[in-house]
Amino acid sequence: MERQIINKKKRVFSVEPNKIPPSEVFTRKYTSLLVPALKKLNMNKNSSQVNQLTVKHEVDMALALSAQEFAWSRFLLQKLSSSNNPTTTTSSSSSGIRIQERSGKEGGHEDGEIEEKLRELQKLLPGGEEMNVEEMLGEIGNYIKCLELQTIALKSIVQDTT
Amino acid sequence: MDLTGLKWLQQHQQMVSPEFLQILGSDGREELRKVESYLGNNIYDTIDGCISRTSSFQMEPVKNNEENRVIALGNKRKPEGKRETIEKKKKIKAEDETESSMKENSNMSNTETSSEFLKQDYIHVRARRGEATDRHSLAERARREKISKKMKCLRDIVPGCNKVTGKAGMLDEIINYVQSLQQQVEFLSMKLSFVNPELEFHINELSSMMVDSRSFPLHQQGSLDYSVINSNQTTSLNALKIETSSNWDVHSQCLYNNLRTDSVSSFFSLK
Repeated sequence: MERQIINKKKRVFSVEPNKIPPSEVFTRKYTSLLVPALKKLNMNKNSSQVNQLTVKHEVDMALALSAQEFAWSRFLLQKLSSSNNPTTTTSSSSSGIRIQERSGKEGGHEDGEIEEKLRELQKLLPGGEEMNVEEMLGEIGNYIKCLELQTIALKSIVQDTT
Repeated sequence: MDLTGLKWLQQHQQMVSPEFLQILGSDGREELRKVESYLGNNIYDTIDGCISRTSSFQMEPVKNNEENRVIALGNKRKPEGKRETIEKKKKIKAEDETESSMKENSNMSNTETSSEFLKQDYIHVRARRGEATDRHSLAERARREKISKKMKCLRDIVPGCNKVTGKAGMLDEIINYVQSLQQQVEFLSMKLSFVNPELEFHINELSSMMVDSRSFPLHQQGSLDYSVINSNQTTSLNALKIETSSNWDVHSQCLYNNLRTDSVSSFFSLK
């Protein structure tokens, strides 16, 4: 039995990762993480009340775990793990500083507008505030793609049950 | 100036500093450019002097990292009518600069010579006529070019950007799109939380299939495609062109870890 496992594990690494499109990889990872996590939720909470927050938590966790090659997933994981332990995080202080900066710049200046929008975008991306602008713009592209795939996966999971 | 200039460079084995360029004046810069292109074109020639010079050029940056340098890049791009171009390299410390500079340079000059010099940590910036050539503005320009490149990529990703022009409008679109995607995810997860008790049935099916098939070779498990999840609706998932593949092997490991049912736990205690 052990040998079977080891053989199977060996076989796992023989797959060339380059040939599989990343969207497929992501979707598989995502569904394979989310579906059993939901099942575990069901099992642990025997009552029919599955908390909405925990579902959201699982959804986000699945997203972060299935996209680990990107920077924003690390930040998302951090956020998720810190939300379990309610300690103060550094992000709140940094966002405070950012707000101060912004109030100084509002003058209808064109550059200021763009910077404001960039900052808003940074807020949307997990960990965006810790990145510089160029990095953030690159990560946003990945994030959007993963969000799209996530919505497709969620839709199919939901529609299956209704 | 031709050969004498070459010999001068050969003797000094130095990189050309920006002050020197200013001293040269615009005419001198033109000359220097010719010299550079000559040097660049000869890199793969069997002329000994050139070879030794180019090899030493590569060694130089290790020693002198502080100055601006002009290094011959074999510039085969035809200069446009009114443009006089000077190429400068600047050392800017950033992590993924080499890749972008490789891209830029392969667009600018179609020779293979560029690949040799790009092992260094430099940004290739082109200074146009009449524009400032000092370090800061070059860095600014390089940064701006990078940002605009990324904005172009984002245009392809975010739908509905064809009509919008300019940075601000694009950023607006992107923000709206990301927000709408996030709202969709929230809405769907909310729906999922309501629907969850019924989901159990299907998940049980899914997990039991996985559990049973562990005694079989895992490639058979590839038949566990999404028809188990969706008997009716395969369109959206087929749109992703999901085929059975042994990639499932990798994910079944973490999947089993999450399940933690009695029958499976002993099997996977050997992780």
